[in-house]
Amino acid sequence: MHGPADTSGSDRAELLPPGYRVARWEVTGPIGAGGWATVHAGRLAEGQEEGVPGEESVALKVLPTAGLSPHQARKVAETARREVEFGRASSHPRLIRLLDTFVLAEPERPHLDGAIVLVMERAERSLRDLLATGVSEAEGARLVTEICEGLAQLHRSGWVHGDLKPDNILLMADGSAKLSDFGLVTQLTGTHGTHGYAPPMGTFDYLPPERWKAPLGEQGVEIRPSADIWALGITVHELFASGASPFPGATPMARGAATQEYADGRAPLRLDGALPPFWRALAADCLAPTHSARAPHTAESLLTRIAERPMSQASPAARAAPRRGRRRAAFVALAVCAVGATLWPHFTHGTGPGGPNAEPPGRIKVFNAEQSCRGRSDRNADCSLGLAIDPMRPYTVDNVVATRVWHGDELGVDCRLLLGMPIIDEADTHSAEWYRVRLPRADAGRGTAWLPAVRTKDHPSVPDCPAPTPTPTG
Amino acid sequence: MVRMCNVRSECASVTRGEEGAVSGVVIHLPGCRGDAQGEPGGDAVTLRLGPGEVARFGRGSATTPVELRLDDEAISRLAGEIRVTDDHWQLSNLSATQSYLVENPEGAGEYLRVPPRRAGAPIPFEFSRVVLPTRNTTVSFQVFAPDHVYLDPDGPHGQWGSRTVTAYSLDETALYFLILVALCEPRLRDESPVAVPTTPQIVDRLGNHPACGRLTARAVSSHIDYLADEKMRISAPAETAPRREARRNGKREAIVGLVLRFGLVREEHLALLPPRTGAAGQERGTAG
Repeated sequence: MHGPADTSGSDRAELLPPGYRVARWEVTGPIGAGGWATVHAGRLAEGQEEGVPGEESVALKVLPTAGLSPHQARKVAETARREVEFGRASSHPRLIRLLDTFVLAEPERPHLDGAIVLVMERAERSLRDLLATGVSEAEGARLVTEICEGLAQLHRSGWVHGDLKPDNILLMADGSAKLSDFGLVTQLTGTHGTHGYAPPMGTFDYLPPERWKAPLGEQGVEIRPSADIWALGITVHELFASGASPFPGATPMARGAATQEYADGRAPLRLDGALPPFWRALAADCLAPTHSARAPHTAESLLTRIAERPMSQASPAARAAPRRGRRRAAFVALAVCAVGATLWPHFTHGTGPGGPNAEPPGRIKVFNAEQSCRGRSDRNADCSLGLAIDPMRPYTVDNVVATRVWHGDELGVDCRLLLGMPIIDEADTHSAEWYRVRLPRADAGRGTAWLPAVRTKDHPSVPDCPAPTPTPTG
Repeated sequence: MVRMCNVRSECASVTRGEEGAVSGVVIHLPGCRGDAQGEPGGDAVTLRLGPGEVARFGRGSATTPVELRLDDEAISRLAGEIRVTDDHWQLSNLSATQSYLVENPEGAGEYLRVPPRRAGAPIPFEFSRVVLPTRNTTVSFQVFAPDHVYLDPDGPHGQWGSRTVTAYSLDETALYFLILVALCEPRLRDESPVAVPTTPQIVDRLGNHPACGRLTARAVSSHIDYLADEKMRISAPAETAPRREARRNGKREAIVGLVLRFGLVREEHLALLPPRTGAAGQERGTAG
């Protein structure tokens, strides 16, 4: 039983009219059109028995081949083949299930004749639809966990998604997330199953930096699971930053160029200040600039990390970290926030408990690269700077003393460490140098802490520090 | 009429290959023979700049370093600057008096005039020739921007930002595309499953095309190199034969195989080629 006659074959979103019967299913309406496919909503036609749960309401993905040149038709068939092959090989609650597939024989309707139809479980909307509204941290955490579960399953069974993006992450009626669109999935090959070859296609905003330089070989472009991890990093950022990409630019090409500037070390990674600290650190790891730096962060390891995240960070209290409307410059790959900032009315220097009997060999003035912080003297928490406990460890919240310092503060300095953790400040100044400074007041039993050299303009002539011994976290 | 001498650069040696290919722009200054002043001739220079990178050009000096040295006394020590932005580049004219021209060699006379002191003029051409006036001649160099993106012909209309696209897109109106179609023609017409036309055959085949009146064998070869190295970044299988000719053939075959396989050149593109003459028709199958 066919619906009203199709008015226009070129209106691809309306390819199948409502009421059109495809095998056991009946079209109820259009959903949307993608690259080579149009997607329709469908339901099990009357009188048909539901074989598998979830078949009652389906999505019909139609890939027309009519009017295409043999090469184009081959491309469409190749896309469909990948989806079907993958659909047969995998079944997982976090992956959209392929229920059935067939080819339409409609000699009377040339634009439909030969079209490939994939019947899949139906989602309510995509993650893209959710981005503009934003999510709470708890909601975001659940979604990222589910996406990681899907990716972990894919990677475990030897596939790379190849086109992960919010448009291809679907949300079901119960709110759960599933990965979809397996037209570019690639099976890992090679002796160690480390990489596969994908068609030279992708979505600019989600391509890892190495893909912009990747050579095109006989089998396509080399792709590794770390490409999905990069796309996950972009997605996590978009999820918590109301859809904003971590890379600046008005067009996908501009953002692609910014991606490469970052990967080539000419620009730091500037994540949006709206990202909660834990997710900020996780996104930064997913967005490590090279395959090898990203490789340790597998979907599996990210899942463990999410499950084990400190309760203080899982609780809403952690969201009280300072937020500013504008984008906030961040230390490269490190999450730094003004946790534990204390107002400090009497800043005294001189006899710190670390060396009450010895005058420090030099003094330095603290410099804040944020210009707006330099003109003020109100010791605003947003303008405070941290001092590290251990200069060899990442400069993160658990590695700073409670004492904060501000632009213009003068500190006694003992010695200089040439090779600590490299730091890039808001003005892109790079340095791995640190100064051991006297704390004006004992802080958890400590008399000294470490100031990155990028936080001062002074060059005191002080001795080199002895290599620091690892400090237990305070 | 074009003189380019004694160009020096900090990155004169260019590495190619899997890790050497860089997206961004390629600047090329052809070399020239030793001149009358007895100075040694400059080597050809190729500079690759990634997004955000800058190259200064001019006569240069100890205190005014430039990445591209243009040795002509009519040119300022610091004459201008090229900055890679997004998928294109910007030209800053640092001269106080001279206008520079940016020509599109394929654009039937298309050009831009960049007036003195213009900062960051965006250049829209994939191929450009930057021309600086000197006393009675000109100095020029070429800038290629291979990262220009073209949308897929079969994609849907409307919003394209988050769409899946072919990552190696080609300008179907460019001369390189015409050469590519000519390279693929025998296979597209199912005439010869193996042979790929030679350079003289391409020159011959495109001879009647209005855009190819003065097409030389050398131009065909450099377009093929550009396609293989900058556009597709082809990782050709290692050639055992040391002969340059064999390597070239390997590269051609690799390009043809790839563009057909991934649908970058299709049957409908054959219409871009000029009609075949009887003589050309008789040559079928003899290529190779």
